[in-house]
Amino acid sequence: MNRKTKPIVRIIQYFVLIIAAFVALYPVWFVILASGRPGGRLFTLNLTSMFFPTEWSFENYKIMLFDNPFVLWLRNSFIVASCTVVACLLVATSAAFAFSRFKFYGRNWGLVLFLAIQSFPGVLSLVPIAQLLTAVGLYRNLFGLVLAYVAGTLVFTTMNLKGYFDTIPIDLEEAAMIDGCGPVQSFVLIALPLARPAIAVTALFAFLAGWGEYILASVLIPAPDSLKTTMVGMYKLANDIAIPWGQFAAGAVVIIIPVLLVFLWLQRYLEGGLTLGGVKG
Amino acid sequence: MATKTKVRKALNVLGFIAPTILAILVFNIYPILFNTYISFTNRNQFHPNPDCTITFTRILEPTCWGVFHKNAPTGIGQPFKIQTPFYKNYADLLGSFFTLTVLFAFVKVIICLLPLLLISTVNKWFDRRVDRTISTGAISAIAIVLSLILVVLLNFSAAINLIMKAGDFFTVFIHTVIYVALCVPLFFLVGLVFALILNTANLKGRTFFRVVLIVPWAASTVAIMMSLVWKFFFQEKGTINQLLLQIGITGKTWLNDPIIAFAIIVIVNVWYSYPFFMVTILGALQSVPVELYEAAEVDGANYWKRLLSITLPLIRPAIVPAIVLSSISTFQMFGTVWAITQGGPSRGAGTPGATDLVMTYGYSQVFQTSAYARMGAFAVIIFIILFFATLYSMRISRISKGAYES
Repeated sequence: MNRKTKPIVRIIQYFVLIIAAFVALYPVWFVILASGRPGGRLFTLNLTSMFFPTEWSFENYKIMLFDNPFVLWLRNSFIVASCTVVACLLVATSAAFAFSRFKFYGRNWGLVLFLAIQSFPGVLSLVPIAQLLTAVGLYRNLFGLVLAYVAGTLVFTTMNLKGYFDTIPIDLEEAAMIDGCGPVQSFVLIALPLARPAIAVTALFAFLAGWGEYILASVLIPAPDSLKTTMVGMYKLANDIAIPWGQFAAGAVVIIIPVLLVFLWLQRYLEGGLTLGGVKG
Repeated sequence: MATKTKVRKALNVLGFIAPTILAILVFNIYPILFNTYISFTNRNQFHPNPDCTITFTRILEPTCWGVFHKNAPTGIGQPFKIQTPFYKNYADLLGSFFTLTVLFAFVKVIICLLPLLLISTVNKWFDRRVDRTISTGAISAIAIVLSLILVVLLNFSAAINLIMKAGDFFTVFIHTVIYVALCVPLFFLVGLVFALILNTANLKGRTFFRVVLIVPWAASTVAIMMSLVWKFFFQEKGTINQLLLQIGITGKTWLNDPIIAFAIIVIVNVWYSYPFFMVTILGALQSVPVELYEAAEVDGANYWKRLLSITLPLIRPAIVPAIVLSSISTFQMFGTVWAITQGGPSRGAGTPGATDLVMTYGYSQVFQTSAYARMGAFAVIIFIILFFATLYSMRISRISKGAYES
């Protein structure tokens, strides 16, 4: 575009950016401020303390980490999200490879059909899934939740990985086939190592999806407290009048900081298509 | 010999995709079948239990399957059965839609939207001609003006109100459509503005702003929790009212006003979703060759002309899939709305609230009033709509095409 931007345009640009940066950051900053305020004092008429930490204590963090089942929730969420990632990748990589490499009947419309079937909203299939898991004894069980999550993220994961496999030249595998390599070997030994970056990013997003999911978790593991996942627990905390908001905020900070760091670390990969070729025109 | 290799090949393929198919059968196909069956029964809080002597119940109800029978819940209440007429739940949801006045209103709505639906068809027709006498933008503009004229002439809003009153299904469906129609263009516009600013040359602190503006995306992975924070901003003793008190205004309870509550759930969703568009557009902008802009500048095209004729058409392939995907996910929006308004403010018991979208309505019907059968019918209707909408949007965005296919 223009080599030089007019000063007035530049000023407007910075104005927009600074407002936007403020709006983007304030909710997160607000949680951090609230987490350091002792007790339930949120409603303050002091303008400075709405934007800057005027008083700070780790009281809320202490209560959250030592007096609440919060650490258990974190552990549960971590177990569920990690198991989801592993199971999902095991299933999705092989399917993605098949859809990318083999010619078979239904290859072209298969994935589209899967996507369309997945448009059946998860919220509305909660009752049958809950009943199914009740019947097989996996209701109120972390692994029942994992099963439901894997099914939920499977199609999109497969799409992403298929898009990436499509961008890997088939020549290497053909050369291997000539040397007597079967399809399973060429998948495990050649395609999988080449697709490592895509697998890493897909795994991360599958993990985050499991980490932040609420509805399925709230229905499949409504109780007891020690089996809840983080989001279900936090939702209950926030709506419990007896619990000061500062404690909720402290928990929120503990949950959101790792996610933020991961995003900052990933942000250069995000550009140029989050889905790594899975989404293209 | 030929058949033998064929069988081996088929077994290979099957081995690779069988787990996926199994998962989809159990967690996607089965719930659809189950919901379809339940939608014809009278299952609700008075008739919650399965009666395993009925053929279909025995087949579809997991607790009727021999091995699992011991896990069956034992509760009080009658067993459910297929009701007469079997379509009663559907009739309840659709209400008085199939009466003359409502159907007439529906036709009016279709006529008002017709110009917008026809844009792409007309465009294609012009594309096939040798010389193009009218630009794409002009066609869109004409269609929008035509639509607006029809909206005024045919009293669009009265027609919509009439349809919304016809049945619960239409109330929440129209809410959701309005929600998507407000959210997705805003995602795109906000994302586009930020991407264009961040893409200008010699902008100091570009990396800083790019990182900061992505923060809401990170927050959206724990959407339900951050939405509770947003809810706090708009509470009676929340942050907005604190700020207003500083300048001597006593704010009201924002979430009790139907229109403001709806605006709030739109704003919060825009906050979550613009970074995805910003990042996608930034990525697409990198691939636009600079020479095009230089040539346009030589030809005397100003900024807006270049934006409309070069930038937008060239980033279109990257944008369309993003719009399709976020339209579908916005249609299925649940967490944010549930955390902030729970579908309220309520407009009386038994009717959907002012911010009740498709998913929140379904959820509250099942888990607050145990209307399983009615929600089965609701789910089936929503599924039919979404299924075809998804297939159609896949076709226009060609999302599933591989790298080697053209």
